[in-house]
Amino acid sequence: MSSLEIRDLHIAIGDKPIVKGLSLTLRGGEVHAIMGPNGTGKSTLAKVIAGHPDYTVTQGDVILDGKSIRDMEPDERARAGIFLAFQYPSEIPGVSLANFLRAAVQARIPEGEELDAVAYYKRLYAKMDHLKIDRKFTSRAINEGFSGGEKKRVEILQMMMLEPDFVLMDETDSGLDIDALRIVADGINSMRGASFGALIITHYQRLLDYIVPDFVHVMYDGRIVKSGGKEIALELEAKGYDWVQNELAPAAS
Amino acid sequence: MTAELAHPAATAEAAPDLRADAQQANPIAGIDQSKGDFTYDVEYAYDAGVGLSEATVRYISQVKKEAPWLLDFRLKALKKFESMPLPTHWATKDLENIHFDKIRYYLSQGQQPKRTWDEVPDDIKETFERLGIPEQERKFLAGVEAQFDSEAAYSNIKSIVAKQGVIFVNSTEGLREHPELFRKFFGKVIPTGDNKFAALNSAVFSGGSFIYVPPGVKVAQPLQAYFRINAENFGQFERTLIIADEGAEVDYMEGCTAPKFSTSTLHSAVVELVALKGAKIRYITVQNWANNVFNLVTKRGLAHEEAEIKWIDCNIGSRLTMKYPGVILRGRKARGEVISIALANDGQHQDTGAKMIHAADETTSNIISKSISVGQGRATYRGLVQMGKGLKGCKNNTQCDALLINTNSRTDTYPAITVRGDKHATQHEASVSKVSEELIFYMQQRGLTEAQAMSLSVNGFINDLASQFPMEYSVELKRLIDLEMEGSVG
Amino acid sequence: MPLPSLETPHAAATPAGAPLSDSPERRLENSFAAHFAQQQNSGLPDWWLEARQKAWERFAALPLPTRLDERWRFSKLSGLALEGYTLPKGAANTYPHVDYQCPTLPPFERAATLCFHGQTMVHGTELPAELSARGVIFAPLPIALAEHGDLLRNYFHKYPAELGSEKFTALNTALATTGAVLYVPAGVEIDQPLLVEHSVEGSHSAAFPHTLVILGERAKATLVEHFASTATATPAAGARTLDEVARGGTAGSEAAPPLRQFITAVSELHAAPSAQLTYIGVQDWSLGALALHSSSIAAQRDARVLSLNLHFGGAQVRHESHSRLLAPGAHSDICSLSIAHGTQEYDQRTLQTHAAPNTSSDLLYKNALLGHAHTIFSGLIVVDPDAQKTDAYQSNRNLILSPDATADSLPGLEIQANDVRCTHGATSYRIDPEQLYYLRSRGIPTAQANEMLIFGFFEEVMSRLSEPALHDALAAFIQSKFKEI
Repeated sequence: MSSLEIRDLHIAIGDKPIVKGLSLTLRGGEVHAIMGPNGTGKSTLAKVIAGHPDYTVTQGDVILDGKSIRDMEPDERARAGIFLAFQYPSEIPGVSLANFLRAAVQARIPEGEELDAVAYYKRLYAKMDHLKIDRKFTSRAINEGFSGGEKKRVEILQMMMLEPDFVLMDETDSGLDIDALRIVADGINSMRGASFGALIITHYQRLLDYIVPDFVHVMYDGRIVKSGGKEIALELEAKGYDWVQNELAPAAS
Repeated sequence: MTAELAHPAATAEAAPDLRADAQQANPIAGIDQSKGDFTYDVEYAYDAGVGLSEATVRYISQVKKEAPWLLDFRLKALKKFESMPLPTHWATKDLENIHFDKIRYYLSQGQQPKRTWDEVPDDIKETFERLGIPEQERKFLAGVEAQFDSEAAYSNIKSIVAKQGVIFVNSTEGLREHPELFRKFFGKVIPTGDNKFAALNSAVFSGGSFIYVPPGVKVAQPLQAYFRINAENFGQFERTLIIADEGAEVDYMEGCTAPKFSTSTLHSAVVELVALKGAKIRYITVQNWANNVFNLVTKRGLAHEEAEIKWIDCNIGSRLTMKYPGVILRGRKARGEVISIALANDGQHQDTGAKMIHAADETTSNIISKSISVGQGRATYRGLVQMGKGLKGCKNNTQCDALLINTNSRTDTYPAITVRGDKHATQHEASVSKVSEELIFYMQQRGLTEAQAMSLSVNGFINDLASQFPMEYSVELKRLIDLEMEGSVG
Repeated sequence: MPLPSLETPHAAATPAGAPLSDSPERRLENSFAAHFAQQQNSGLPDWWLEARQKAWERFAALPLPTRLDERWRFSKLSGLALEGYTLPKGAANTYPHVDYQCPTLPPFERAATLCFHGQTMVHGTELPAELSARGVIFAPLPIALAEHGDLLRNYFHKYPAELGSEKFTALNTALATTGAVLYVPAGVEIDQPLLVEHSVEGSHSAAFPHTLVILGERAKATLVEHFASTATATPAAGARTLDEVARGGTAGSEAAPPLRQFITAVSELHAAPSAQLTYIGVQDWSLGALALHSSSIAAQRDARVLSLNLHFGGAQVRHESHSRLLAPGAHSDICSLSIAHGTQEYDQRTLQTHAAPNTSSDLLYKNALLGHAHTIFSGLIVVDPDAQKTDAYQSNRNLILSPDATADSLPGLEIQANDVRCTHGATSYRIDPEQLYYLRSRGIPTAQANEMLIFGFFEEVMSRLSEPALHDALAAFIQSKFKEI
């Protein structure tokens, strides 16, 4: 069974520590949610696992299927099976969605082997239909002029096309109306299975109504201050983030 | 006049009769002569006469009892001035209408020309009234009195800052009492030959401020030239030098929003700022010139490591203003900013802008320029941004917005951006707009007149910048814009 | 006729007493006289010959640009010396047609082709009979002049670009023997593009192509011009075989030092009311070439003109483009894409003149800079008094890919009407690390991700082309040129 293990991870940007010793193990088939107030390091954690160059890992490690990915380039990590659904996906003028996804799929097949273009488009259109994305989007520049909801749906489309082992979903629910949220959740749920693990980062409990997590972790000031089942999300919703700040955080430190 | 001082103009014009000058197209008098027919019945203690020659420069230096090096500096500058052509290959040909030989280059302290209050034109009196300028100040600003009752306020500020070791004097005093400090920085940011008008200023300068803030001292109140108007500040060729030592912070304000009736058609100042490591200087100008004045000013700051220099500049009036405050970002992580508002009314050309020279890594600069063209007024933004070779992480952001009030109002934008290397980011954006008819209609529907609605819209256009001025300036600025906008509608 | 030397007439004052015939001025004068003599009695209209004579005098009288000329700010003036180039051999309107395959642009369907090689036309395909029958003219300059002189007279130099290169455009007028004339009568639409190939051969040669496009009311056409250099010296005209041409290759790819060549090219584009004109210039001169291109666009009521210039070649290339929006509803798209590398200098000057109300223009100039390249973009939008409801845009984007490259950007506005929408923007930047990270986070390797971003940068310009076949051919050409570097 595949696993993604975060081991005592410390992350800094410049001299400023952001994540201060975080451990978590994600196994294939599991969905974990990380909740917490803004500015506690949730997004940083996701970006660092995906290899963002702006951050420094000062201590600890991330282990994918028994091997450290600490020194791997972002594209190597992606090809190894890690997918980050961005909170704010980049807009890339002049590069069409179809060409981009095709290059990403091509990068995953052995060198010298050509992508079956017909099969690729067939699969792409099927997924687009599933996510209710207009097929015309294939010729549009990536995320350029997309609405917030369209960007998030296209992130999920990419995830479905690239079939990662582990996905990191960074506030995927933010800015989505209820219909879009359902579509996105449906896309993710369709991928659930023994070979798929997800780490869902969210500020609100709402998304978890649609993607029911196996584990919920509460994060505060760079650490996990409480872990448990999905009931924690409800408790957090009821008690609010003051509860985290005033009770959980002091108890954990 | 003291006997040993040779009057440079003595042979040509023994005692210049200003009344006679006023009959002709007089380039000296700064306000519409037809309205006031001013007479200047003043005995000048020191008067360099009309025209510019080596003798004029020697005379000024002699009156000021200057050190030989400074006379030498002035004479070299004069040669430079004479050798440089007017920059008409890029600037307006209107510069050719400056008659350098008809300008009076030096009148000594306290010798501002006097008039009587009765002679001040009614429209000017009314403007003072509506701007809410105190009686005493009105008289000063109208040239009726050479000084007003601000001496006390000025002394007060002086004594407060002196306790912190801050030097705040006029440039003559600065040269006399702090020659080492003055000389170390003087002419270093703006070399004599920087441009023809900087050379002219270097030859004949008098007045202006000298400020030194010791390391770590943060001057709480803004230092205002306003408070020491009597001390030569309103010279035509003032020279200001401000040095903020390491970690020091100071704000300086010059000018005021009242219309300024200059006695000269040429105002050519030089202002040099030096911010040493971690220092912050903010220089605020609000100027409103009579509409026959050529206002050609060179302003530049040198920012060392992690220092910050910010120019806040508001230009109203004048026939032609050419002014491009700049910052040389010499030290790592230095920051420069220019915030500029210009209003060009009929017959006026505001040619203003900014220069940002990035000369160290990770330096950042920001330019925001807003101009308003009224009637046939012309507002020009001219900018220069340079990022040198071998540097990394430099950033510039420039935003120019122009508002055109009348059908044939004019605006120009001429930026020049040079980026060397692949580790920088620059962005320049400019837009032109008019006041939205929808907005005017909306306000009229709520009962405002069209003129009121127009003024509100214009104030809205500059509001985000005006709020960066100190409160009293920003209030006066708004009133002033209301006045300028009058008659532009309909 | 001996090959005369082309020298600047203002090189040096002739010392008193020196034999005048030895002075550069006199040599140049003589060579023009010889060239001009050949043009007499060649069937060219008198007005044209007079215009050439006057242009020659203007060329001789105008000084070379100096540092004080703002229109040449940031340009390398030392590169403008004109000594040592060879004037075109005079063949006026005798064009031996040989079986010569124009070698370089990827193929796309075209209505007709004219191919100029050196100073002669070596190849041409006939216009489809249907178009000829409807009065379309697509012919080499001297033939068009000889046959349709009266028609063309009103259009030549009607709206010169005048952005600083007056001296050089005068030289073009004086010496132009190559270039195409395209005339499309009112109401005629040509679906497929027309292609004009220019290739200049050998070292120290000079060329002066001149293109004139006239679209009548509601006419529609697309003209593609391709400018390239070839290495081999010209054999006798007509003796050149296809194999030889193929072996010659293009200048950019051979190991020999780049060919020093001098070109001034002028294109004049006229769009009558409601005409739709697409003009594409692909500049791929030798890496040793000094080239000065000048294009002028005149759009009448409701006319739409798209001009797109691509720059790959040359050592120092200046391109001036002046769009005139002359009547309400006129629209001009002015686009450029340059890949500058090595020590190339690309100097681009533009002017968008809105001379009438309700006109629009949209300019997009993009430069990718590599090596020690230097690009200059200097653009100006002028809105004349009373040209209300103007909608003008101007954008210059420089993607700097090398620590040693320099981009100068001078985007300007001069606006004298208040009810207008005018904006401009200029940015210089490197590849956005966030965009790069985004692509890599999907598993795309760095090198490929970089290339995708660069091609994406190009595509923003290329997507302005609505003809898919032409778009794809040119996009492929750009990508191959980029990969060659």
